[in-house]
Amino acid sequence: MQEIPQLLLHNRAWAAEQLEEDPEFFRRTLDGQKPAFLWIGCSDSRVQPDHFTQAAPGGLFVHRNIANLVRHDDANLMAVLDFAVMTLGVEDIVICGHYGCGGIAASLGKLPSGPVGHWLEHVVDVLDAHREAVESLHEPDARVNRLVEINVRDQLLHLAQTSTVQAAFAAGRPLKLHGWVYDLRDGLIKPLLDIDSTTVLEEVGAPERVLV
Amino acid sequence: MATSLNNESLFINWRADLPSSIVVSLVALPLCLGVALASGAPLFAGLVSGIVGGIVVGALSRSRLSVSGPAAGLTAIVLAAIEGLSSYEAFLLAVCLAGVMQIGFSFLRAGILAEFVPSSVITGMLAAIGLILILKQMPHAIGYDGDPVGDFAFGQKDGGNTFSSVVAMLRDDIQWGALLVALVSLMFLFWWDKVRPKEGPWRFLPGPLVVVVFGVAANAWFQHFMPALVIAPTHLVAVPVPATMAGYVDLLQMPDIGAIGRGEVWIAAATIAIVASLESLLSVKAVDEIDPQRRVTDKNRELLAQGCGNLVAGFLGGIPVTSVIVRSSANVDAGAKSQLSTILHAVWLLVSVLMIPWILNLIPLSALAAVLIATGWKLAKPSLFAERWGQGLTQFIPFVATVVAILFTDLLIGIAIGIAIGLSFVVWRNIQNAVTVIHHGEDVMVRARRNLYFVHKAQLQEALAAIPDGKTVLIDLSATNYVDLDNIDIINAFAKAAPYRSLRVVLKGDARGETSKRIRAPLTRARAT
Repeated sequence: MQEIPQLLLHNRAWAAEQLEEDPEFFRRTLDGQKPAFLWIGCSDSRVQPDHFTQAAPGGLFVHRNIANLVRHDDANLMAVLDFAVMTLGVEDIVICGHYGCGGIAASLGKLPSGPVGHWLEHVVDVLDAHREAVESLHEPDARVNRLVEINVRDQLLHLAQTSTVQAAFAAGRPLKLHGWVYDLRDGLIKPLLDIDSTTVLEEVGAPERVLV
Repeated sequence: MATSLNNESLFINWRADLPSSIVVSLVALPLCLGVALASGAPLFAGLVSGIVGGIVVGALSRSRLSVSGPAAGLTAIVLAAIEGLSSYEAFLLAVCLAGVMQIGFSFLRAGILAEFVPSSVITGMLAAIGLILILKQMPHAIGYDGDPVGDFAFGQKDGGNTFSSVVAMLRDDIQWGALLVALVSLMFLFWWDKVRPKEGPWRFLPGPLVVVVFGVAANAWFQHFMPALVIAPTHLVAVPVPATMAGYVDLLQMPDIGAIGRGEVWIAAATIAIVASLESLLSVKAVDEIDPQRRVTDKNRELLAQGCGNLVAGFLGGIPVTSVIVRSSANVDAGAKSQLSTILHAVWLLVSVLMIPWILNLIPLSALAAVLIATGWKLAKPSLFAERWGQGLTQFIPFVATVVAILFTDLLIGIAIGIAIGLSFVVWRNIQNAVTVIHHGEDVMVRARRNLYFVHKAQLQEALAAIPDGKTVLIDLSATNYVDLDNIDIINAFAKAAPYRSLRVVLKGDARGETSKRIRAPLTRARAT
C-alpha cells in the first residue's frame, strides 16, 4: 500500500479506537492545553518524546530542530519558549539530545553546503569551545556522543540566558531547566544536568559522560 | 458472495456436479441405512432423511458443497428418544418441532456460534472422522459387518468398541471375496487419484463409481466361477424392497400431532434441535475449510435450511438430518462445484430406491468401505498432522487433543475438549506479562498493560507483594478500560496495608475514570504522562 493511503487509514483507526476507549477524549482536548513540559529535542524521526515517555496528548509542548539547538536569533524557538513559559505557565523545560545524532556527526567533518551546513555552524561553535574534550577521544562514535552531551550543556546555558527564562527566574517562578540525552540503544533517558534560578551559570561544568 | 449465488444458474457446473452426485449417492446409501439401523428407526426412515437432506436442505442452504442427511452423531440421541417416547409417530413430531426450533435459532442469529470454534479443532474433528472412517470401515472391507455402517461412536451397538471390532474381524471368519474386492478397489482408488487426467472426458470418471461397478461385477463373477469367494447377502447393501409402488407409501409414517401436549416430546425436540444445529454448524464450517475455493457459508441461513429439512423429514417419517462430513468430503473429493451435486445425489437416491432397489442390493459393502477408507485417508493423512506440527504447539496440541478426544468419546464431547484446550492457550497467552513492574530509585511503577481479569489476580498480587517497604508506588491503569472487581479488591487491600509498610500509593486511573472511582488511593497530580 502507498504511504499516504496507509497513513490516512491509521489516522482513522486511531480516532475510532480513541473514541471507543474514551468517548470524552476529543471533547476534552477541545478544552485547551495545559502541558507540564516544554520539550526541545532533535528532529530525528527515531526520537519521539511522546512515544518513549508514554506522554498523554496535552502533556508535552514540543519544539524540535536539527541537533536541538537554542539560538537567540531563532525567532521560532523564542516564540515557542515565550508562549510556553509566559502563557502556558510551563515549569519544566527539557533539552534532550540523543545517541548517534546525525547533525552532530556532520559537524565533526566537512559541513554540507546550503541551509543544513549553515545551521550546523552553530554546532561547530560548540566544538571549537570544547575541542580538546572531544578530540581527546579516539573512537569516532565516542567523539560524536561526547559532543552530543556537551552540546546539550551549552544549549541549556543558551536557554538559561534567554530573556524569557531570565525574566521568569527574576519573578521568582519555580522554573527548572533539564539537560538530558536519549540513548537509542536501550530507549532510556539519561539526565546530564539541571539549571534553576539559583544556579550560577559561569560555574556549570562539563557534564558526566553517560553515552558510553 | 450471496448475490453471486442468486445470479448464477444452478446448472452452470453440471459437468462437475453430475459425476460427483453419483459418487455421493453411492456413499450415502449405506450410510442412510446404517444410521437408521443404529438409531433404532425403520431402515426406510434413513433413506427418507437422505433424500430430504439432499433436496430440501440442499436447495435452501447457501453452502455449495455440504451434504445433509441422517447423521451418525445423532444416533444415540435418536435411539434414546424413540425408546423414551415409545411411539415412533410421537418421535416424528419431535423431529418436526426440532425443525421449527432450528428455524427459530436462525432468526436469533445463533449461527455465529460456529465462528467461535478454532480451526485447529475443526481440522482435528476432520482428522478424527477420517481415522474413525478407516477404523470403522476396515471390518466391513473384509466382510465383518457386526456393527452398522453408520455407527461412528467409540462404544458400539454390538457391545464392542472401535478397536475391538478391528481385532474381532481378524479373529472371525474373513470373507475372502469381500477382502479381495476391498483391496483391489482401494488400490484402484489411490492409483486413479494420482493418474486422473486434468483435461479431457476421463477427468469426469468418478473412481468410486468404477469401484462399485467392479464390486458388483466381481461378485457376479465369483458366483459363476469361484463359489468359495461369493460375498454373502448379509455383506451387501440391503434396501427394503416392497412388492408394489403402494408398498412404498405404506413405509412412510406420519407424525402424531396429538402428542404435542407431551413434555417428553418437547424435551426430545429441544435436544435434537440443539445437537443437530451444533453438528450442522461444525460440519458446514469444516466443509468451508476443505472447499478448494474457500467460500464462506452463511451459518444462519444454514440453520434455516436445516430446520426446514427436519420439519419435512419428520413429516415424511424420517429421522433427523444434519450436515454430514463424510458425505460432504466425498462430495468435495469427487470434484463437486455447487449445490446441484447434493440435490442430484438425493434425486439418484430416490430414483434408485424406487426403480432399481434389487440392483442396489447387489453392491458389496466392502466396495463402499473401500470408498470410505479412501475418503478417510484424505481427511487424516499424515501430511495433515505434519502441517499442524509445523504451525507450532498452540495449533498442534488442540488439534491432537480433539482427534484423541473424538476417537475415544464422541464428536461433541471431543469438540468441547478441543475448544477448552484452545481457550486455555488464549488465557495462558493473555496472562503472560500483563503487569509491568519498574523500579527507579525510591519510585516503583506497577503498570497494567491490558485489561485485568480474575486470571491476572495472581500476577498482580505477586507484583504488589514483592515491592520493598518504604517506596513510593505508582499504580498505572491508564492502558486499561476494564479492571474487574477481583483486581480492584487486591489494589484496595494493598492501599489499605500501605501505611503499615511505610508505602506511599499513588494511582493513575483508566482513561474513563471508571476504575479509579472504586479505588481508595490518591490520584497522581502529574499530568504530562
